[in-house]
Amino acid sequence: MNNNIDINVHHITRVEGHGNIVVNVTEGRIEKLQWQVPEAPRFFEAMVRGHNYQDIQLIVSRICGICSITHSLAAIKAVESALGLKVSEQADKIRILMHYSEQLQSQTLHVGYLAAPDFFDAPSVVPLVARAADIVKTIVKVHRIANAWSDLIAGRTTHPVTIVPGGLTRVPTEKQLRQLQQTLKDTIPDLKKIAEAVLSVAGNIPKFERPTEYVSLKQTSPPTYTFYHGGITSTDSKGAVVPIEKWHDVANEYIVEQSTAKWAKWHRDTYAVGALARFNNNAELLGPMAKDAAKTFGLQKGCCNPYMNTIAQLVECFHVVETSIAIIDQLLTKGLKDEKATSAPRAGKGAGCVEAPRGILFHEYEFDKKGNCVAADMCIPTNQNHANIQKDFEKLLPEILGQGQNDIRLKLEMLVRAYDPCISCSAHFLDVKFVR
Amino acid sequence: MEQTRKRNVVVIGLGNVLLSDEGIGVHIIGRLLSQQKKHPLVDFLDAGTAGFSLLHLIANRKKAIIIDCAKMGVRPGTIRRFTADDVQSVKRLSHYSMHEADVLRVISVSRQLGECPDEVVFFGVEPESLEAGQNLTKTLSDKIDSYIADICKELG
Repeated sequence: MNNNIDINVHHITRVEGHGNIVVNVTEGRIEKLQWQVPEAPRFFEAMVRGHNYQDIQLIVSRICGICSITHSLAAIKAVESALGLKVSEQADKIRILMHYSEQLQSQTLHVGYLAAPDFFDAPSVVPLVARAADIVKTIVKVHRIANAWSDLIAGRTTHPVTIVPGGLTRVPTEKQLRQLQQTLKDTIPDLKKIAEAVLSVAGNIPKFERPTEYVSLKQTSPPTYTFYHGGITSTDSKGAVVPIEKWHDVANEYIVEQSTAKWAKWHRDTYAVGALARFNNNAELLGPMAKDAAKTFGLQKGCCNPYMNTIAQLVECFHVVETSIAIIDQLLTKGLKDEKATSAPRAGKGAGCVEAPRGILFHEYEFDKKGNCVAADMCIPTNQNHANIQKDFEKLLPEILGQGQNDIRLKLEMLVRAYDPCISCSAHFLDVKFVR
Repeated sequence: MEQTRKRNVVVIGLGNVLLSDEGIGVHIIGRLLSQQKKHPLVDFLDAGTAGFSLLHLIANRKKAIIIDCAKMGVRPGTIRRFTADDVQSVKRLSHYSMHEADVLRVISVSRQLGECPDEVVFFGVEPESLEAGQNLTKTLSDKIDSYIADICKELG
């Protein structure tokens, strides 16, 4: 038992705050244990207010460099709901393909570049390149394929340009889709290689459990492991599915003293979103390869080890690849049509929801009769996870107090990383001093 | 399936256009894209806040020119040309999130993977404001023509 522990992992950037971990233990008594998230005031509403409905998805795509397709899709669904626009089956499928490309991009990025160094006991991905070059190269290869996939469908790797109200600005050619399909088929052995490498170090994943509520999308018609359609469900809602329009009833945001980022609760004091939440609500709907991957890691529905979120992300990499291969088959069998998206302004209010790689994301907009935005709201997955991280800390720390301070710090940091948080997303500037 | 564009020289604009001068790299690329015909052997890419994806955009090129907002401790609006070896990042990363980005770290990984361009040149522009806003400050917008002239000079 450590009698005295003092951990203060404090990171402040000039634009917005990182999360801070603060632990004070005196003579074996936990005096302070906090996951603190300083966050700059939200400027989201002001950012889009006054802009025309046709520009919203382009503006919000700039909120985040990792989830830019996801933000655009949540926004366009909200816009289309507000304006009563229908999207063709073909455009819907291509958007899902686009969304899956970002899932693969982001999940690979997280598993490979952020979580893998923990598993392989490296301080970051930079030294890991030398230590495990082969596996890092495979991760880079898959990430590169996912980026090229986004580039093809979204018109750009980051910040998509092909999504417009009512559909898409362009449709990929049959040749491009066939090439993409072949590439995805060729990627499966690489995913298996990554899974094998992670499995070889899976013993380093902490064995910690805390039952909580897991919230995600659920699609019942047809039953699908969904990232895009459906309503909101949770492991506490006994199969009930809440319509997207009622998202405020789910994400009950509240303010706490230790964090300027809002916390969220539904049936309990906290809930979790992300890959593990999707898995816990929909695992039986995964594709066969994804199911096999889950089985290999012993990941089962009902898992309440938050560190296993990273494994659920890896499982989802298999799912989005195998499902996309099937979607391309469906598109090609039906034959691609040259479609033109049309829309017209009208007054209205609408909500849109999709699964970001790191969890459920809500957007909501209201437009006047000219189609100009008069109100906007958004709830990001990371904010929905903050309270849950705090509660995890409170159960975890007493269980690991007997370990050294560095081990305690590492396990707390790994826990935060497992949630794949979106913090300091917008602060990308260089900060340098000249050395020659 | 390959990246749709892959010329030997790439000019990449980075930044967040929702945070005033933070988006200077993207604003400059927007202007350079309109001059694409003058530079047929160059790719101009708006990479926004792509972060680690930069790794793929520069891979196996001969030369990469990266334009970004940079805190260098000089007068706002100043543009400076430098290489990755000229500077040291003083940016503090939490390592909690892939959303934080350090371009210099990406260059380091690219070198280790053996796919970094022979020449990587940065043009850093000192910001005046990083507040929420979709426009550059006047200090930077007044100088955008001279920034473009500097970059075109680099392209030869």
